[in-house]
Amino acid sequence: MTHVETRLVYAHGLAALATLLVAVSFGIVVSLQLLLPDLGADVPWLSWGRLRYAHTQGIMLGWLGNAFLAFLYHAVPILTGRRVTSVRLGQWLFGLWNLAAVVPGWILVLAGVSQPLEWAEFPPAVDLVIVVALVLAAVQFLPPFFARGLEYLYVSSWYVIGALVFTLLAYPMGNLVPEVVPGAQGAAFSGLWIHDAVGLFVTPLALAILYFVIPASTGRPIYSHFLSMLGFWLLFFVYPLNGTHHYVFSVIPMEAQATAIAASTVLGIDVVIVVANLLLSLRGAGIIPREPGLRFVAASTVFYLLVSVQGSVQAQMAVNQAVHFSDWVIGHSHLAMLGFATFAAAGGLVHAWQRIPWARYNARAIDWAFWLLLVGVVMMVSALTVAGLVEARLWQSDAPWLDSVRAARPLWVHRSLSAVPIVAGFLTLLAGLTTGPRGGGLTALGLGKEAGDPPEVAARIAVPAGQAS
Amino acid sequence: MSYLVASVAGVAFFVLSVALLGVWPARVLDEQTAAMAPDNPLPLTRSEQRGRTVYAREGCAYCHTQQVRYLAADVRRFGPATLAWESRLDVPHLMGTRRIGPDLSRESGVRTADWQFLHLFDPRAMVPDSVMPPYRALFDGAPDRPRQDARDLVAYLESLGRAREIAGPEGEAAARAGCDCPDDRMAELALAAPPPTATPARPRRGDPVPTLDGNADGARGQLLYDRACASCHGPLGQGDGPAAPWLRPPPANLAEHEYTLARLADALWNGVSGTSMQAWRDHPVDDLASLAALVRSFQLERRETTLPDSMLETGRRVYEANCLQCHGPDGGGDGAAAAELAIAPTNFRLQRPSIARSVQAVREGVDGTRMAPWTSRLTEEEIVAAARFVRQFFIRDAAAREGAP
Repeated sequence: MTHVETRLVYAHGLAALATLLVAVSFGIVVSLQLLLPDLGADVPWLSWGRLRYAHTQGIMLGWLGNAFLAFLYHAVPILTGRRVTSVRLGQWLFGLWNLAAVVPGWILVLAGVSQPLEWAEFPPAVDLVIVVALVLAAVQFLPPFFARGLEYLYVSSWYVIGALVFTLLAYPMGNLVPEVVPGAQGAAFSGLWIHDAVGLFVTPLALAILYFVIPASTGRPIYSHFLSMLGFWLLFFVYPLNGTHHYVFSVIPMEAQATAIAASTVLGIDVVIVVANLLLSLRGAGIIPREPGLRFVAASTVFYLLVSVQGSVQAQMAVNQAVHFSDWVIGHSHLAMLGFATFAAAGGLVHAWQRIPWARYNARAIDWAFWLLLVGVVMMVSALTVAGLVEARLWQSDAPWLDSVRAARPLWVHRSLSAVPIVAGFLTLLAGLTTGPRGGGLTALGLGKEAGDPPEVAARIAVPAGQAS
Repeated sequence: MSYLVASVAGVAFFVLSVALLGVWPARVLDEQTAAMAPDNPLPLTRSEQRGRTVYAREGCAYCHTQQVRYLAADVRRFGPATLAWESRLDVPHLMGTRRIGPDLSRESGVRTADWQFLHLFDPRAMVPDSVMPPYRALFDGAPDRPRQDARDLVAYLESLGRAREIAGPEGEAAARAGCDCPDDRMAELALAAPPPTATPARPRRGDPVPTLDGNADGARGQLLYDRACASCHGPLGQGDGPAAPWLRPPPANLAEHEYTLARLADALWNGVSGTSMQAWRDHPVDDLASLAALVRSFQLERRETTLPDSMLETGRRVYEANCLQCHGPDGGGDGAAAAELAIAPTNFRLQRPSIARSVQAVREGVDGTRMAPWTSRLTEEEIVAAARFVRQFFIRDAAAREGAP
């Protein structure tokens, strides 16, 4: 039977929440500094630019990285019927990821040792550690999929394999190639990485969560295996070709830009297919499911649709020429990372936590967390999107540059206010997973102590439909 | 199946994307660079390289871009679109993905070092509504005490766009010739007029200026002045804004002068070359008219005695012996030596200082310019005479006289 390394799920889950709170704090200070620019003025390691670097890398690697790893520890054994490679390896991976990459990365970036590359701000020394960690993750999680006797692979499995292999190649490309290839040539590779980080690391692992949690929670198979397959292959083909859409109207050859814009459009269509499949799989569970893990996942699915259609729209030249460089883009990145990815990660964590018999679980807190985060992300993204449109209009006009800064100010106030529900939501989520009765998750699912040994429990209640046991 | 996923989705599609959107565009850009770049690329000095590192580590690229896009709106604000070769020494690139502040690709030659140092030390002393962080740690307690990092950073900022500027019209022509431009529109945005030195804020000499006799809106003028001018020129134009102590030459005391509308138009439209007074072409002409009207309203009333003939004679004699070389035979700032000077000598036909201001300038000189103190060469009587003499050159244009105090 399958055996889930619940201690590693737990460790990565806590690390995810701890690094999340730190990274969010960086983000809040950054947003406040736009309103009170003299905040932290005399302290170099509190300067806006360095905190911004620490914020984005902390969210991607600290929060999402750990949350995804936690989920992989839960899901891979269930998907494959085999254990992950080694607990000892898992401990090394945990230590490497958090204590040799994320924390030192933050320290170095705040000390002024960094790379000015979007989504690649940690310095090359830390990048090397991450690459090693990605290799270890591949060694930890891929062999179960490749071992003999596994004829059937569920869609979540494809996304996991694809994400781990692709990111292993894309991460060094994005972090190191622009250090040797100059100017616009290097920027082409940067553009690829900016999109690969979100589209081939975060998205597939988030989708793996969505495809896993929905059938596991509803007890019903996914709506269409064919659409899952179509969605997967289209995503992995088209997503990597989006990269140059970050440099539309730059000097990068127009054919590359046009390819990327076309790919971005096809991507929107692909996401409609994927989301249709996921939402149809949710039928019967209601538009706002009762079960909290499923509820996070359902919201994530809707965010995914919104952010991807938005992405397809903003890649079009007519829109891009106006909104590129504005707060619209910041709204987009938060709709993706705070909306889609965070809700998926939270859903995965909650789902896995419920099935750890000794983990504390506070159902009420988790309930609150969902609503607080939902309000927070809607507040933040709407403020930024409107700010982007205001800036865009002013930049197209004859108004002096500073008019756009002056006009954005009130909207930045709204954006900073959204920190209140967001932080409250994350603190409540933390409370939800660290307070309450032990085994509260199982109780919430209607399974008490008589359910049996932890590994058996995990196996019995989380079998995705169609999986041969 | 897992092998299929790993190899095709994981590896093959990665390789395809890198080849199609990484390697191939890089090849094309290399060809463009080879065809269009000037022959002798000017590398950055060591100081500028260090400055680049400061720029990178402080996250400047996350507020300021360094790419002028191939769009009319970008070109209007920031100059010609960025060509491929312009960033060929930038490793890693700093093209940027967000503009909270303006693009900096063509920053070279726009600001004085004084302006840059003050703006880095305390952005809001220079630009009240700026949200830029202060970088006081780069200084030793004051804007005129930059540490090495600040000097390096300002050196780097001064290098942005310099290569294209140095390539000059010959460089532009060579780029035009070497361009295998599939799209004429792109060539137009990168290579047609205006030239790379034509960014809206850059001071220049001698460009024709619009007339500012349009509708002046008092409230608008005040609003614009408070936002853009008061930090240097002070709330009532007396040259006592928060930035003033840190700028050489100091901002003009507008209240102590009478200006023709043409003079103000020139200062606003062309800036004052060699000083921190930028050109304000990013403002519509009507706004500049409102500003000009406000500036004229600052002029302080002074009661004057008539200039006695003997003083007029002394003044003329002193002027012709000492001042003519720079200020010209008719006080038009067009003396023989004027062309050599970084900052143009005052044109007294267009601006008339008060007696006190004029005497002060002759006696003390104008700090930061070639106008030296004349106390060692002229007697007090000669100083006063010359100072009063130059005020005779002023020509009030008939239309400009209207409404002026």
